[in-house]
Amino acid sequence: MEVVVASSSIDGGIGCWDVHTGAEQLRYKTCVSPPHGLACVGQRFLASSQLRDPSANSGCILYWSWSKPQVEVRSFPSEPIQPVAANREGTYIVGGGVSGDIYLWEVATGRQLRKWNAHYRAVTCLVFSDDDSLLISGSEDGSVKVWSLFMIFDDMRRQRSDHLYEHNFSEHTLRVTDIVVGYGGSNAIIVSASTDRTCKVWSLSKGKLLRNIVFPSIIDAIVLDPGEHVFYAGSRDGKIYVAALSAESTSKSNYGLHIINSLSNHSKAVTCLAYCARGNLLLSGSDDGMVRVWDAKTHNIVRVFKHAKGPVNNILVVRPELNFNFQPNSQASSRRHGSLLPPVLDKYRNPTDEDADTTTVIGLQSTCRKSIDPSYFSSHVINNQIKELQQQGSSAAAEMETERLKLECTRSMQMVQQWKKMYENLHQFCVNELLDSDQAGISNGNST
Amino acid sequence: MAAFNYFKNMYDVDMKPRLLRTLIKERVPDDKHPFENPAELSTVVSLIKTHGLLSESFSKSTDQKLLDNWKSAVDSWVERVLLLVSNNMPDKCWAGICLLGMTCQECSSDRFLASYTLWFHKLLPHIQSPGDSHFVKVASCASVSDLFTRLGGFPNIKKDGTSHAGKLIQPVLKLLNDDSSEAIWEGAIQMLCTIITYFPSSVHRHYDSAEVAIASKLLSGKCGVDMLKKLAHCLALLPKSRGDEDSWSLMIQKILLLLNAHLNDAFQGLEEEGKCKEAVRLLVPPGKDLPPPLGAQILSGEASDNSTRKSEQSLMSSVSMLMLCCCTMLTSSYPVQVNVPVRSLLVLVERVLMVDGSVPHALSAFMTSMQQELICSELPVLHLHSLELLIAIIKGTRSQLLPYAASIVRLITAYFKRCALPELRIKVYSITRILLISMGVGMAVCLAQEVINNAFVDLNLITNESVGASASTNLEASSEALLQPCHRKRKHGTSIGYPEEQHDHSGLQVAAPILAISPISVKIAALEALEAVLTVGGALKSESWRSDVDLLLIKTATNSLKWGWASEEKSIFQKNEPTGIWVDFQLAALRALLSSLLSSVRVRPPYLSQGLELFRRGKQETGTKLAEFCAHALLALEVLIHPRALPLTDFSPTSCYSSEQVKFSGSMYSGGLNHGGPFTSGIQGIRDNISDLDHDDLYESWLENGKETVDIMYTEEPMFGGEENLNVEGSSGTKVPEEKGMEPDATNVNVRMEGNEDEIMVETDQSHESVAQVQEPVSSRGATVPESIGASLGTESASDHAGNVFTSGQDVLVAKGDGFVNTDAAIAISEKITGDGLDFDGPEILWENSESDDE
Repeated sequence: MEVVVASSSIDGGIGCWDVHTGAEQLRYKTCVSPPHGLACVGQRFLASSQLRDPSANSGCILYWSWSKPQVEVRSFPSEPIQPVAANREGTYIVGGGVSGDIYLWEVATGRQLRKWNAHYRAVTCLVFSDDDSLLISGSEDGSVKVWSLFMIFDDMRRQRSDHLYEHNFSEHTLRVTDIVVGYGGSNAIIVSASTDRTCKVWSLSKGKLLRNIVFPSIIDAIVLDPGEHVFYAGSRDGKIYVAALSAESTSKSNYGLHIINSLSNHSKAVTCLAYCARGNLLLSGSDDGMVRVWDAKTHNIVRVFKHAKGPVNNILVVRPELNFNFQPNSQASSRRHGSLLPPVLDKYRNPTDEDADTTTVIGLQSTCRKSIDPSYFSSHVINNQIKELQQQGSSAAAEMETERLKLECTRSMQMVQQWKKMYENLHQFCVNELLDSDQAGISNGNST
Repeated sequence: MAAFNYFKNMYDVDMKPRLLRTLIKERVPDDKHPFENPAELSTVVSLIKTHGLLSESFSKSTDQKLLDNWKSAVDSWVERVLLLVSNNMPDKCWAGICLLGMTCQECSSDRFLASYTLWFHKLLPHIQSPGDSHFVKVASCASVSDLFTRLGGFPNIKKDGTSHAGKLIQPVLKLLNDDSSEAIWEGAIQMLCTIITYFPSSVHRHYDSAEVAIASKLLSGKCGVDMLKKLAHCLALLPKSRGDEDSWSLMIQKILLLLNAHLNDAFQGLEEEGKCKEAVRLLVPPGKDLPPPLGAQILSGEASDNSTRKSEQSLMSSVSMLMLCCCTMLTSSYPVQVNVPVRSLLVLVERVLMVDGSVPHALSAFMTSMQQELICSELPVLHLHSLELLIAIIKGTRSQLLPYAASIVRLITAYFKRCALPELRIKVYSITRILLISMGVGMAVCLAQEVINNAFVDLNLITNESVGASASTNLEASSEALLQPCHRKRKHGTSIGYPEEQHDHSGLQVAAPILAISPISVKIAALEALEAVLTVGGALKSESWRSDVDLLLIKTATNSLKWGWASEEKSIFQKNEPTGIWVDFQLAALRALLSSLLSSVRVRPPYLSQGLELFRRGKQETGTKLAEFCAHALLALEVLIHPRALPLTDFSPTSCYSSEQVKFSGSMYSGGLNHGGPFTSGIQGIRDNISDLDHDDLYESWLENGKETVDIMYTEEPMFGGEENLNVEGSSGTKVPEEKGMEPDATNVNVRMEGNEDEIMVETDQSHESVAQVQEPVSSRGATVPESIGASLGTESASDHAGNVFTSGQDVLVAKGDGFVNTDAAIAISEKITGDGLDFDGPEILWENSESDDE
């Protein structure tokens, strides 16, 4: 089952619908998320950062498990967090703070593993690369930076190099609103959108700008077509523009260079986009509180979900793992009354807690099903033993042989005894007969 | 009567009961007659298994009478087997036990469920009684283990199974503790593992005594290596019987402590004092009590006097086995999340790997040379096991390894420099491979240089080796030599050379250290590691090494094949290496070559044509692994030849769609352009020529492009300009000075492409010029195209240069393919249909172009 999950900047909970049937699922309560503030952690549960009133000096990240509408875990990081993201396996959560810091937590323990200063202004979006080894962040200061997680954790290398990031793209002049990463490991492209009305395509391997596309209006959301033929850009004028990546683009377009087409039905600004590869569906969330599902081929609206009165600002397409056999360790479950979710995220990184770094909580559940073919030994053992017997080499074989012979021997002995006995009996019998007949003869003779 | 009562065929159900009865009558021993030939038994087993004689499985249509017949036959089989089990002659009893075990595995579920209790009680006494012979005991262990394995497949009788298994634990532990033969221990351990796997809770009560029994065997030093491995495996499984986090943690903590203690003994005088203290401090935080030692009870008594006179050898073997045990614990599944002491595991690995047998000056007083000799003889095994442990850590922690990845990389890098034994190098290469694949680009950036440096050392001298010991060691000369086969293939000497001949060989002149020549197996590992580097991080920050590695790989591949399939009977390599490993080497070389060709992003892969040539040749080695791989490689590379960035299926340009669809795709993809232009006849002509490509969407879209001979032709992207120029001109007879020498020859497949590469890379300007020249013929494109292909086809068949039907046939095909590229790709690209979105060098040019547009 694939579901679309949507949240808003005004509390309407997290809406959840089956993409293909349109059936509404559970609605998860109390969520006021900033843009890019909703993430699905390893398909196991939902996590969302929360908008806080400006005076609050701590952030808030909430967890919902798939099966319960209530918030199950509340964490309070040391500053308001806007974007959150999790890697594919769901082992790490990263959050971008308003100060420009990026936080990295380990999900299983809630430990804050790293925190580093990434941008001058607030972080606005965070995405993991295709292979989860790179993190790409965008900021209000207009810069897009590519971080190698490996580098982040390598203290020695970090001290040697003058900067932590792999790439720093600073061509955007205003706040970065969205970032997507394409397919292809180190050859991937990065597309970023900004309030400067442009979207820029970057090469990850070369670290430079490949294409700049100027849009008629500010783009708040982008999504790649899985074939990376085009990308879709949701704009504040309510249109979704189709911009060329590898597709042919003519200069004669109505909208500008590289913009091929547009989808329009929105009265209000498009705030978020998602793509569902199965069925080739494009999903858009809008300021009017609706989630629309478009057929990417025909550009027709297939379905409309009404989320809330307020603007939708996050949508995700996920395939929830409803009955995953995830059991937290016994302590954690007793501590939190059988909740299936991992513990609270740390507020601060504890620099003195060196020992905490020495262990890692891992789930050793086999990812593949237990082999269906059980292994049987006996025929193997039979063959081995027969070989042994035939070679007569081993002591065990010899032992069995002797035992067999011994038994045979006793049996033969018994036979001998029996024969002897029979012989004796016979002998006795004959002797008796003879004696009897003799005596009879004698007596006969006597009588005659 | 029955003599002519035939059944249908060997699949007839009717056959099975009959065959089974015959077996019972003739092959299976009985009460009365002596049991003469035990080999009969294996025939019986194999017959029963092949024909499923005990399975009692049938389709619905099977006659009831037949089924009853079969059932009664199986009944009498079971009866006979049970009779044998209770026979007091040991050989017959043994046969019965063996057959009963097999019956447990083979019989139908219904029968098994109905009678497993009875069978279990028949077998149990043989395990318990001390009097039975070893053979009988081993067989009954195996049979009981099979019984529980089968039982484990029925989740609904878990409870019953657990209670049965519970009765077994004590006898099994007794078997283990008895001073009997290794075969019995093995059987007992096997049974214990089965029970832990399927009925863990039955072991729960005897957990401690089981731990003691296994640990004492493991540490006794009395068993062979295979037995020790099984013991280690069983010890690692043991915590599953409790299934909670604490048991697991406690077990691994105990094992690590014991390991460190052993290492303290072994490495006395070889390492600094601090190491062991650190390891222990990480394991047991200060202020906490040490856990009881592994197998506490037995060791407490024995240890005091035993440890001192324990031989170094047995010390080493138990260290290896304890490491193995850790590996199993880290990689096998466990019902709950556990806390893994990753740091102390890593410290342990590092501690072992850092010891190389050299005696630090300060410590020389503590060590005799004899001791050193002993340790050094055992060190390789120890290193191997610690590398295994490292692999297990990486596997177990998966993505959560990240915080430790840096220290692992440092460890590996340091170890790589010192490690010289082939076995160890292979392991290190495989670790780098695992790291690269699992941690992606970020890891590749750090690790690539290290892998490449080492791979160069391991692979570089291949040239010398394959040319033979007598050959000159001059690298320059040998690299010339390896280009020879390609030269010979080219019949007409052309003016266009291979690009790498102009290349300077700087990459190869990196100081080749005079090392012993690495064995083939190390080369294979090095190639595999290079493959991983290219696969994961072929594009990011690879400028510094890219060209060297590409050159190395094409050389290695060419070299490996030069001998292999040209002359297998020459057996040059059989002297030293078995052919199997040589095939593996070729395979590894080709795999690495493929990834080098595929991962190239900045420029068109420089050795594409040679690579294709190799793969084509390899494909002809019918029936080998190489041929399979080469076919796969050709498929993968085809995308480089015919670049395409196809949209998702729904956008497919050639299929018919509703009106708005056509409108949409029409604006994006030239494929949607209206059909039926003035050149239809020409297109038709091409189609007639090449019937096998009739339904190639890509091809059709090119043809359709051909119709729209618009002005933008060649204006933007002179990517294939040179080639276009060459082909169209050459075949249609227009004179182009610099290409005059070219004959449309089959072997020119290579030449053309390279010529083209050169032009792309060097002379883009020139192709701009030639564009102008081409534009006239283009107007009659419909006519030109078929001609050009026809021409190349014609010459193809005429010049049967290879003297081999397959080869020439393939070349024709390829030439055709090339024809498309040459003629049509240019158009496709110039119109920005941009199949080059995923092209190797397409995006570069495309993007940059657009960039400049913006500016």
